[in-house]
Amino acid sequence: MATGVGQARVMTSNLDTRAASTGDRRRSRAYLAEFVPGIAAYVLLLSAALLWGGFDGTSPGRFVWALLPVLPMIWIAVAVLRHLRRLDEYQRARTLSGLGAGFAVAMLASIALGILQSAGLELEGSGFWIYALGMATWGISAAVTSRR
Amino acid sequence: MRNDLRQRREERAWTQAQLADRLDVSRQTVNALETGRYDPSLPLAFRIAALFEAPIEAIFEPDGADLDVRR
Repeated sequence: MATGVGQARVMTSNLDTRAASTGDRRRSRAYLAEFVPGIAAYVLLLSAALLWGGFDGTSPGRFVWALLPVLPMIWIAVAVLRHLRRLDEYQRARTLSGLGAGFAVAMLASIALGILQSAGLELEGSGFWIYALGMATWGISAAVTSRR
Repeated sequence: MRNDLRQRREERAWTQAQLADRLDVSRQTVNALETGRYDPSLPLAFRIAALFEAPIEAIFEPDGADLDVRR
């Protein structure tokens, strides 16, 4: 009898494993297969733009160089959207809620910085601040909801 | 909403991941369902009912607040 209870406990403990399902692994692999080339291309193009873009010069070509790293970011955005479509209803709701929080913070930051700049405050790289705040909020929101 | 998903899964000796694959959802979603943190959509509830060969109302039981309607 005691052995039976022991076996039942072992079985329950084995059944409580937090290992990812086959579907989870498949979805993660598909996401990474699309996301990683995008981020790699971004790093490469950003490095190339910083090295050869002549950002401190006056050539109009520097604006083309400056926009080049945006191309892989479009790829990454599409990868995220495709990942959203692969998620199930619960994960999609949580991911969208995190994205929504990030969007709200980015919009608030952009309006606040816009007004501050209209009032004469000089801010270097304010676009990067908006990006960083939006992404950080998305990341924090994702981390908080995944712990629930 | 309460449910006996965990009990039904354990009766079949399935892990959460195995149940997740059978329902085509993530293990995290199965965990959220079992712990009552997430109520499934109607299509998912029907899939769960079909998998366990039981009516939805045998698996899911509404809480008092779920039945709070005005007639």
